[in-house]
Amino acid sequence: MNSYLKNWLWRSLTILVLLGIVAGLWIATKRIDYTWRWNRVPQYFAYHSEDIKTVDFDGLITKIDKKGDLTTVTVKNAISGETSSFIIDTETANVSVDEYLMEGDTVGSTREWKAGPLAHGLWVTLWISAVASVIGLVIGVVTGLCRVSQNLTLRQLSITYIEIIRGTPLLVQLFIFYFFLGTVLNIGRLPSGIFALGIFAGAYVAEIIRAGIQSIPKGQMEAARSLGMNVPQAMIYIILPQAFKRTLPPLAGQFISLIKDSSLVSVIAITDLTKSGREVITSTFAVFEIWFVVAFLYLILTFSLSQVVAWIERRLAVSD
Amino acid sequence: MIKTVDLEKIFVVRDQVVRAVDGITTHIKSGEVVVVIGPSGSGKSTYLRCLNGLEPLTAGHVHIDGIDLANRKTDMNKVRREVGMVFQQFNLFPHKTVLENLVLAQMKVRKRSRKEAEKKGRALLDKVGIPEKESNYPSQLSGGQQQRVAIARALAMDPKVMLFDEPTSALDPEMVGEVLEVMKQLAREGMTMVVVTHEMGFAREVADRVLFMDYGKLVEEGTPEHFFTEPQEERAKLFLRQVL
Ligand SMILES: Nc1ncnc2c1ncn2[C@@H]1O[C@H](COP(=O)(O)OP(=O)(O)O)[C@@H](O)[C@H]1O
Ligand SMILES: [Mg+2]
Repeated sequence: MNSYLKNWLWRSLTILVLLGIVAGLWIATKRIDYTWRWNRVPQYFAYHSEDIKTVDFDGLITKIDKKGDLTTVTVKNAISGETSSFIIDTETANVSVDEYLMEGDTVGSTREWKAGPLAHGLWVTLWISAVASVIGLVIGVVTGLCRVSQNLTLRQLSITYIEIIRGTPLLVQLFIFYFFLGTVLNIGRLPSGIFALGIFAGAYVAEIIRAGIQSIPKGQMEAARSLGMNVPQAMIYIILPQAFKRTLPPLAGQFISLIKDSSLVSVIAITDLTKSGREVITSTFAVFEIWFVVAFLYLILTFSLSQVVAWIERRLAVSD
Repeated sequence: MIKTVDLEKIFVVRDQVVRAVDGITTHIKSGEVVVVIGPSGSGKSTYLRCLNGLEPLTAGHVHIDGIDLANRKTDMNKVRREVGMVFQQFNLFPHKTVLENLVLAQMKVRKRSRKEAEKKGRALLDKVGIPEKESNYPSQLSGGQQQRVAIARALAMDPKVMLFDEPTSALDPEMVGEVLEVMKQLAREGMTMVVVTHEMGFAREVADRVLFMDYGKLVEEGTPEHFFTEPQEERAKLFLRQVL
């Protein structure tokens, strides 16, 4: 009971400190006369687009058929006698039967929600990261296996790859991929960016996988071999599943990094979340709001990933 | 069944040359139970591991059912499925249930159907006395139970020979008996066995022959009666005084 109360006191203190920081930021922006326009942010996620339907001929409305939210308006061309139908939202319908419409007159309109640039950017970041993660995982597992292989050439090649990738900045790699490989191999900016990210992550994944494989006691391989399994079988059924379980936390960290690092692809003009944020800012000047929102969106992505991983870890823990 | 001719295994670690197995010639007949004893570091494990090709030979030959392991064309995986091995540290697969431990290699190596493999697995768990643990994970079993599962796992491959490397050395004393009991039963059923152990009682009771190793060499060999009552070699006498 006592410790329970004590915990609550500390928790309240945490909240108090966080609120203090927020208040401090708020006061700081007050002093530079920044006007917050949070209300302008939502429209960049999704907006209601209105598609106005007009007639491109003169004609007479012959029929209005209301069906729930949608209404079909039938107009008869005054000259040719042909009829055309327009489907509009019922609430926008303010025409009546036998009304005569001139060319360019409005019949009504349909409205629909459209994804704004931030939602679009979020989606791009999400799928770029997902594809790059898969590429990184495949490259990483293969390289990690080469790294522990008996074959000297495979070992040396994998070490070379790992050292080059880990020893150079991702930003520079992105430029090389985009300007050099993109031009030489004639691939677009999107594949260039995704491959650069995947190959970058692969080098780190390889080291994680290598450490994971080497952390499995030698006896496991020997037991598998003594049962007549060959090396690939022993790897696939015995070593890798155990290594995967042990490397899940560092792998998750790597993929979380990948999501964050993907923001760099905005420099080669891929419209990911970061680039979308920059574009929205040029039209709204809501600099602070948008960057906070962008940061928050990245946080949602990384947090969701770590929750998924925690769930997998709990599932795998049954054999402990 | 198993013939070794001038078997040699040399480890070189940083210019240090260790002659772990130094010219051993033996013949182990089908159905025979051979117990290998000797001081720690005398090369018993290495000898055993040469018999199923876990250690590549430096020189000499190992013939299993007429197949020479020293021949580069020999398919080691084919040989190993005929030679079961039980380790001091059990080496069960921790991410698989007990039954899965028994089923996996049957399916992947012997190409048995799951149904067939599970049937065999259950029968063997019954035989080693833990039928109720099939869906447990190894970590939920006692040491003695884990070692019995490991024996069952090796038996599931229908091996012609079973190798045991100090199967009871990692066990708490009260669990040694249950594992030895399973091994005795196997011996009674006529399994060919090579057992490295410090359990002299087991050697006396079950062994057809005792091999005494020291410094990688086969120093003395004979029936248990001979070996335990009138050993000829000085080193064997010294060793027996220490362990008995
Ligand atoms: N993988 C290895 N690398 C280097 N030396 C080894 C290796 N395995 C065993 N040895 C050496 O070989 C000798 C015999 O070892 P081992 O066969 O394990 O003896 P025992 O099982 O009788 O205790 C020891 O001196 C040991 O240090
Ligand atoms: Mg040993």
